[in-house]
Amino acid sequence: MTDYAEEVEKMSFEDSIKALEDLVKELEAGGIDLDRSIEIYEKAVILRNHCRKILDESERRIEKIMESSGVQKTEEFKLD
Amino acid sequence: MAEVISVAELNSRVSELFSKSPNLNDIWVSGEISGLKKYPSGYYFVLKDSSSAINSAMFKSALGRLNFEPTENMKIRAFGRVGLYVPQGRYQFIVEVMEKSGLGDRYLAFEALKKKLDEEGLFDPSHKRKLPLYPRRIGVVTSQSGAVIHDIITTSASRYTADILLAPAMVQGDGAAESIVAGIQLLNKAGVDVIIVGRGGGSIEDLWAFNEEIVARAIYNSKVPIVSAVGHETDFTIADFVADVRAPTPTGAAAIILRDKSEIRSELQSYTTRLNRAMSAVLEGMKHSFDILDSRLGPQKALDDLNLRSMMLEDLSKTADSSLMAALNAVKMQYNALDARLMPSRALEDIDSLRETVEASLDRIKLGSKHLMEMESSRFDTIADRPEKAITTIVKQATDALASDSKQLEGLNPSNVLTRGYSMVTDRTGKVLTSVEKINVGDSIVIRLRDGNAEAGITKKEMKK
Repeated sequence: MTDYAEEVEKMSFEDSIKALEDLVKELEAGGIDLDRSIEIYEKAVILRNHCRKILDESERRIEKIMESSGVQKTEEFKLD
Repeated sequence: MAEVISVAELNSRVSELFSKSPNLNDIWVSGEISGLKKYPSGYYFVLKDSSSAINSAMFKSALGRLNFEPTENMKIRAFGRVGLYVPQGRYQFIVEVMEKSGLGDRYLAFEALKKKLDEEGLFDPSHKRKLPLYPRRIGVVTSQSGAVIHDIITTSASRYTADILLAPAMVQGDGAAESIVAGIQLLNKAGVDVIIVGRGGGSIEDLWAFNEEIVARAIYNSKVPIVSAVGHETDFTIADFVADVRAPTPTGAAAIILRDKSEIRSELQSYTTRLNRAMSAVLEGMKHSFDILDSRLGPQKALDDLNLRSMMLEDLSKTADSSLMAALNAVKMQYNALDARLMPSRALEDIDSLRETVEASLDRIKLGSKHLMEMESSRFDTIADRPEKAITTIVKQATDALASDSKQLEGLNPSNVLTRGYSMVTDRTGKVLTSVEKINVGDSIVIRLRDGNAEAGITKKEMKK
């Protein structure tokens, strides 16, 4: 599971929550053996925690971009 | 000779004529602005209609009365007078008040462009792109000093976290449309997940840049999905029709693009709940399997054990604790162990395992027996060691008792009686005769005395009465 946790760490929020949804649906559908059930559970918890982490810890950058003579310049933007 | 006057004098006279003519003063003229030039001293343009044109000027002193920004091709009504620009002898219409004259033409232009673009497929729903659910970077094309960027930044603060990249643009006046187009293209190059194109409320002229064809085409050709947020909720621009999503306001745009955080949290919670419910169902099924296995395997203890584990797991699963993993693995092993005993493919292993169990049991029994025997043996030793003295005592007592009895018996010895003068009569076989009944006349009897025997014959018999 450590490998999976590392994999999830690189996943976007959107991919993570989609993967979580798919796993929950698979488990809900039933008809799978115990090994797979446990695997699903473990993965789902990893994904959920990853999503929570993104929600709680993300910080945003607010910038403005300008272009002159084909050169782009980005700088921090602050409200007056 | 007629009077000769200077050019300046001539223009002066014309000027005076103009100023004194009621037909040329304080009049309203309607026309369309053309060739508009804005200078610090005032606005200069040609006022024209379909058949004629007149140079016009609106001086700085009158500009303050404007409640809108005149633009090229704008249809207006102007109040003023005809005056002469003496240095050049050109007459012009001097505007004191300007009003927008009906929206007729503008409306027609709007409708015409809308129809054209619609027919071209720029509003086609099939071209509308889906907005990303969780954008990481939002581009905004708007004025950097307006309320729009402010509203977007503040509204999005409490929502799903995304970077904001502003491409400052002019949103009204000359060059606004070009500026907006440049912003859209720049953000496409810079790489954003979604673009908001917007400006705050204003008159339809203020919003006009968003009705320009080049803006419509830039929105249509953007690789990144675009949300329009122009003016108030009741304002509709061409940009709104082309955009992938139309937001009623800039605040609305931020709310459409970014999901509310607490909403996402509840969704995650809902997945957690569903996950645990589904896992509980799996465990319930597992418990059922255990019951079946148990009914086939027998040992009540195993069932109790598994039930206990199962209950523990259910409790744990409700809290979705990570320690559930360990517990789940434990029950899995338990399950596999039970399962293996029922699997035909593992029958051999099963038998081997059982044999080992039996052998182990036998060993234990042997060991136990040996131990038991040793224990019993030592118990006998203990008992034997202790009663030895008792037995010795018993034997001694018995011996003493015998000696005593022996003395008493000594006294009863018939031989001793005979020595005291008594005799004993027996038959010829040695049997002691104690009654006359067994003696008949003519029988021989033996009389035993102290020192010998004498034989005698019975001549008479007499019974006591």
